[in-house]
Amino acid sequence: MSILKPRASRNPEVADKRRRSLFWMLGAGISTALASTTGFARAASGTGDASAAGEELAIRKLHRAYEQALDSGQYDEVIGLFADDAEVVFNGESFHRRSQGVSRLYGERFRAGKIGKRMEQAPGFEVDAERRRESVKVSADRLTATALFPFSIQVGAPIETDSSLASMARLHGEGVRTWWEGGEYDVSYVKAADGSWKIGRLEYRTLSRANYRAGRSHATRIPA
Amino acid sequence: MRIPMHRFQYTKLTSDQIATKLRAAESGPTSVSPFTNVLNGQSLRIVTQDGPTLAYRFGNDKRLTLSENNGGNVSAAYGELTLNQIVFFSHLIPGTQRGYNVYIDQDTKLVTVFEVWLSSGITSGTGANQFTLDDREVQRQIYFGYVDNGQAAPAQLHHYTNRIAGKGLYWKQDTGIETLEFYASVANTNFVELTRHIDNLSWVSTSDYVLVDDRTFIYDRTECEFSGIHTTFVADLYNVQQVGARFGFNEKDEFEYYLFRGDGKVVGQLAYLEPFDERGLVPTWAGGNAPPAKGARATYRPVRTFTHMTDAAMQAAADSSTVAFGGGPPTDAPPAGMAANNMPFSDILVGKTFTLRFDHGGPVRDYRVTDMYKLSYRDQGDGVWHDVDYRAYEGDDNLAWFGHIITGSNPRAATLAAIDFTNGLATSIECHMGTPYYGNETTYRAIFGVVEIEGLETPLYKRHELTHELVGHAFSWSYSDQTTSMHLYSSPHSMSWTIFTGNQTMGAQWCSPCLYVKLRPGVYLFCQNEEACNGAQMTELINTNISHDCGFSFTGSAAGVRLNLVGAIGRHIGKFDILGYYGPQKRDEA
Repeated sequence: MSILKPRASRNPEVADKRRRSLFWMLGAGISTALASTTGFARAASGTGDASAAGEELAIRKLHRAYEQALDSGQYDEVIGLFADDAEVVFNGESFHRRSQGVSRLYGERFRAGKIGKRMEQAPGFEVDAERRRESVKVSADRLTATALFPFSIQVGAPIETDSSLASMARLHGEGVRTWWEGGEYDVSYVKAADGSWKIGRLEYRTLSRANYRAGRSHATRIPA
Repeated sequence: MRIPMHRFQYTKLTSDQIATKLRAAESGPTSVSPFTNVLNGQSLRIVTQDGPTLAYRFGNDKRLTLSENNGGNVSAAYGELTLNQIVFFSHLIPGTQRGYNVYIDQDTKLVTVFEVWLSSGITSGTGANQFTLDDREVQRQIYFGYVDNGQAAPAQLHHYTNRIAGKGLYWKQDTGIETLEFYASVANTNFVELTRHIDNLSWVSTSDYVLVDDRTFIYDRTECEFSGIHTTFVADLYNVQQVGARFGFNEKDEFEYYLFRGDGKVVGQLAYLEPFDERGLVPTWAGGNAPPAKGARATYRPVRTFTHMTDAAMQAAADSSTVAFGGGPPTDAPPAGMAANNMPFSDILVGKTFTLRFDHGGPVRDYRVTDMYKLSYRDQGDGVWHDVDYRAYEGDDNLAWFGHIITGSNPRAATLAAIDFTNGLATSIECHMGTPYYGNETTYRAIFGVVEIEGLETPLYKRHELTHELVGHAFSWSYSDQTTSMHLYSSPHSMSWTIFTGNQTMGAQWCSPCLYVKLRPGVYLFCQNEEACNGAQMTELINTNISHDCGFSFTGSAAGVRLNLVGAIGRHIGKFDILGYYGPQKRDEA
């Protein structure tokens, strides 16, 4: 195109090109992470090593897939990791069946509260190291398993108000009051007919919570 | 124009009416400045990322032919202006309600394309609150691309940016139109049309910001919820010049389609608070897991869900329930919501008996205060004593700031009064339910006078006054750890507020009229009503010496009337040097 004058570039804005490249690299990184999650789910589908160690590894990968999906807000992916008749206990409430209570919990409450994003523990409110261990026990017949996994996540709830501040914040996915919770997942797994592992029951046991968000220098107690 | 933009009753133009008016514009855009001719006789093929491929042939008579995605050729009139290395051209597609605004960087061969269209049929909201956008609201979709000369696709394209965030500019177009534009959000503009709106109120419109290079950016704003008109331009911040286009319907339902040049001046820069490694590459409306729909933008449309109440219905609700501060003294519960970071209550009035005498026949009220949360008052007009709940702050040394409901008032009213016990001055923000538009909005005014109390000489002439001292300043106000808004005091009679995203990028924004009163150096009253929004009134004493405010909210709804508390910790975010643009001015005829 002749109109494009062959002038030497005076200002290629190198810095911004680098930023753009970084953006694309980050995009690739996100894709890799998601592919990895899919890989976890496939591994958890039971097509790998059927030894006890292999089953334990599959359970751990399934849990990593669960955490990864929660962390990235892929709540539909989370729901897909549960058995049809699964139960989740969250904040003392029980939610039954994947297509009903479990879907409502993750698809509505977790999504609205932006719950599940990984966080570092709130300073001064850390869960005892002894309660942060992982354990996986696979039954002798390798059809069921139990596990304990620690968690350290963001928990939240929509700010219930008609104020313009909250409704405007919702325009960009905010308007949510968030805090930190740490504890352990007490999980039971079942092997599905196709040989894949599914979460049969998952209970959030919150051991500590605090008013804390990433980047803050301090945490404070949440009033009862 | 003197009717506030959010009060103006814009015609619901139909798609057919729009089509008729667009046909009259098929001769292309106009321009006060001479069109440039860089594109004459040229052919170029523009490839965009996630968008169309556009093949253009330009004639020598301001006409072009376009093939979209290798489709058939259409012929259209166009206009063209250049700014430095940027060629900007604009055209509609005859027989449709859409067109393109295209910016080509002749140095890098990078292109930013705005597809614009009317009668979108786009729906917004959910459930019972779902509605279809007005046909007159211009939609836009931005595509980043390059001129394809057979070379390898460039690795970097133009991109969204936060580099313009916080900047303020004055612009004067070749049309004579003057604006102040505050880019105090990555997704909006707070702007003042100095030559169009007689009161110089500031308004908020959805915007996009695209970075070309360090000195050049591309911009748009669409006056959603107002006339729906769309403005776009490329700006050179070295020489502070712009070229762009205005496209859409104004408040008189006239179709405006013209190109313009403009010269400007940077009037200031606000700090932006996001992390230093946040570049604003992803717009606030595009951060979800799913790709955004064509035309997506984050537009605040508050009046769509604001329930209209008549004055009578509002008064009935007020008679049923009017509550100040929850009723009774404070509980042990920690302060929350908009008052979590409030200033403490003060006993500054306890033990005092005094009279507030306001000028020009204003009310004269006697007070007897023996308690920190309940007082007795009477209006000398009727002489009846009333016991009411109140809250008081000491907003500055020996300066009381308190509020209470006016008992039995119709429409329901409240007084929010500052009393300077050092200087003998008093100011009341007198507020009541109802505006000419909604029974459940509030009306407010400032009245000035004195406090009469034993031992204090009362001034005869000295008074608190309305002030412009805050105009141009911006403060963030953190009402709680998770609720912060930035107030930009954008004109003598209006302001905007901006909500931060999760990483403290300035995002959603809206605006309202307001007033400012100076109490002392650095100490002010600020009052605004979120009119055509939710009707809520906020009245704050701002003490800039301690960067803290404290005050009251006054609201009405079907649930009744509430006088509540508001208070926040502030940060001074910056200041625009704009006072000289306001007030009565000599102006050249446009």
